[in-house]
Amino acid sequence: MPGLRNTLRDLRAAHSMTQQELADAIGVTRQTVIAIELDKYSPSLETAFRIAHVFSVPLEQVFQYDPPSSKKK
Amino acid sequence: MPSLSYQEKSLYGELVADLAVFVPYFIIMHTHQATLTVSFIAASITILIAAQIFLQAVIAAFTRNRLKDERDRLIRLRGYRAGYITIVTIMLILMSMLWVHSSLKQITPAHMALHFLTVFFAVLMLAEIVKTITQLAAYRRPL
Repeated sequence: MPGLRNTLRDLRAAHSMTQQELADAIGVTRQTVIAIELDKYSPSLETAFRIAHVFSVPLEQVFQYDPPSSKKK
Repeated sequence: MPSLSYQEKSLYGELVADLAVFVPYFIIMHTHQATLTVSFIAASITILIAAQIFLQAVIAAFTRNRLKDERDRLIRLRGYRAGYITIVTIMLILMSMLWVHSSLKQITPAHMALHFLTVFFAVLMLAEIVKTITQLAAYRRPL
């Protein structure tokens, strides 16, 4: 997804959590977790907050947004 | 082979049932146009419903996690939008063709209702197939 990045894979690895465990914790399918990790799907705000809550980190530590203008610099 | 969610398996089941009924129906419709009856169309719809129920029951029985999430709902909406565009477009084209044929007296008024039913069923089936393929493609593409 252009502009939006995430550290989901790193956070999951740091917490020794499988994709299925994370999916169960936030109430989505494993395929959706895979799509988020591969930047193929931007989750809803609610799901994004749930992910941050599971890892006990602020939202911006999970998701980062690069505005298109900052890419040109 | 990528791992498939329950929704994807269900969509593949739908597609198989649709094609298994629609392809023979389409071939028979074109080769035996003169002998086409309402009961043939009704039988096709009945077989389609039975095939869908059987396949969906088998898929549900062999899938433990049948969770549906926000991405599934988004993809479902995308599929229905594609199906709606298909219905409107093809219905417009086929109804225009039907009107032209009836104006040229190539279709008798007695057969008009049957032809209308045939066109209606064909459009619904095509829209259903387009909807399912769009949804399956959406599962493999960035949203």
